[in-house]
Amino acid sequence: MFADVRNQRRLEQTLLFISLLVLSLIWLTPFATVVMSAIRSQGDLLSRGVFSWPKAIAWKNFSEAWHTGDFSIYFRNSLFLIFIKVPLGIFIAALAAYPLAKMRFRFSGAIFIFFLAGLAVPVQVTLQPLLVMMKQLGIANSIFALIPPYVAFGLPFQIFVLRGFFRLIPSELLEAARLDGASEWTAFLRVMLPLSVPALATLCIIDVLNTWNEFLIALVLISAKESRTVPVGLLQFQGEYSSQYTLLMAGILISIIPVIVIFIFLQRYFVAGLTSGAVKG
Amino acid sequence: MTVTSLAEGRPAFARARRRRRVPTAWIPYLFLAPALIWYAAFLVYPMLQSLYISFFDWDGLSPTMTFVGLKNYIDIFMSDEVARLALWNNILWTLGALVLPTAIGLMLALALNRRVPGSTLFRTIFYSPAVLPLVAVGLIWAWVYNPNFGVVNTTLKAVGLRTWAAGWLSSYELALPATFVTFVWSHVGFPMIFYLAGLQAISKEYYEAATIDGANAFQRFRHVTLPGLTETHVIVLSLAVINGFKVFDLVYTMTYGGPGRSTQVLGTWMYFQTFQYYHAGYGSALAWVIAAIVLVIAIPYIRRMSR
Repeated sequence: MFADVRNQRRLEQTLLFISLLVLSLIWLTPFATVVMSAIRSQGDLLSRGVFSWPKAIAWKNFSEAWHTGDFSIYFRNSLFLIFIKVPLGIFIAALAAYPLAKMRFRFSGAIFIFFLAGLAVPVQVTLQPLLVMMKQLGIANSIFALIPPYVAFGLPFQIFVLRGFFRLIPSELLEAARLDGASEWTAFLRVMLPLSVPALATLCIIDVLNTWNEFLIALVLISAKESRTVPVGLLQFQGEYSSQYTLLMAGILISIIPVIVIFIFLQRYFVAGLTSGAVKG
Repeated sequence: MTVTSLAEGRPAFARARRRRRVPTAWIPYLFLAPALIWYAAFLVYPMLQSLYISFFDWDGLSPTMTFVGLKNYIDIFMSDEVARLALWNNILWTLGALVLPTAIGLMLALALNRRVPGSTLFRTIFYSPAVLPLVAVGLIWAWVYNPNFGVVNTTLKAVGLRTWAAGWLSSYELALPATFVTFVWSHVGFPMIFYLAGLQAISKEYYEAATIDGANAFQRFRHVTLPGLTETHVIVLSLAVINGFKVFDLVYTMTYGGPGRSTQVLGTWMYFQTFQYYHAGYGSALAWVIAAIVLVIAIPYIRRMSR
């Protein structure tokens, strides 16, 4: 009887594994066709189809796409944006999350909900005024125009996650620092932040991906080529080379390789961060 | 003079600290100030300004704005056929988003939670599209749907279903469903990891107790798993609706609202009105319709998160 149960369990596991395998192959197909199209010549692709093995690997598609698509400009802009936006935004969020997690004061609940409501605000409802504002500030069409809205739209989620994490840190540690004469500022900087490195790192990864991927704000606030970010630049590239399939696919791969690499190597932190607070721990 | 001499009598470090000390009651607000000011200046203020603009007829550039009251809002619901179509498309999209990625994500989570070999790799594969820029996702799938060389039509022809091959993104009937399939591909990862986290939080003891009481697999799912996931359902379903009304990138890159205007959603129609046709007042009203819908739907989600 036990053998029966074990066999049935093994059969179930096998069927499950096969279904997952089939489904994951379907899930990978779009990636595979992009790769298979990007590494061959256009003639080879059009005459023999996307499923055939390339006659010769055309690595030059990548260098050609990189140069003709001006991806170096877009990469530089996106990276610059990430290096300023991510630390700045997370630091401001951490500052705000600290009193929300560890202090009792009037309106703390209302302020927290005020921030959380931002999770539901569609970007569209701020675009036209932001465009006017950036023109008035004289930074329209510059990469700096993206920093204010990116930081603002990042705050709700970051404050939410950090508040949750800070609350888990024992208040006794802060108490001890205060008894040693530390100000709240020192307690925050020397006790709270170092103990929160896991949460801060996770938020950094998520924020790097979001900043790299953001499209609509960048599309509206920036029209000059020198200031475009990767998604806007990629779409521009598609517009110019829409029938040069192999080149276009190489360009798509160039623009997604950084996020794929980050995701594959750092996914453990990433996934934990996304679901944090979603489930009662 | 006396005060100074008293202060001089103290050790130097105490004096320095006394001078720096801020009234305790201010401290939380000082910590909050940068975030509050930033958030108010670059999110809340533009939002309110947008509300103000929505009561005007304005091209977004010229100094003159004509007050028209609620006319823009009335037009959206009464005379603008495209806006009504866009709203309908958003509703269809959202209904689809509530069912498809959610159900597939739940099934994947249930499967991956059973210690199948390679489950980490499977999880990575199903989640990976979710980290890509949606512009890239849209372009990848435009290639998948390519009428002459795309995978879909090539496969259909190869298996003898030549008549099923279609111009997926150029057909009035198929463009929106085809775009939605892309959405499912790219978004299944979210419900999947939320449900996985939810499943792992359910205590094994409940299952053991149910098994001892003679519950079969379906009964255990019905009476232990589903109730244990209530919190996760709130998050996953709220996010599906919120994102269903915010949809923009995929439609913009894959169909550009076409063919005709058949795949316009509120997000893209707002963009076209404001930045292509220079109807900034009308576009702002459209944006506020989206914002109002999303904010109302998000209330249970935000209440859940503020606990």
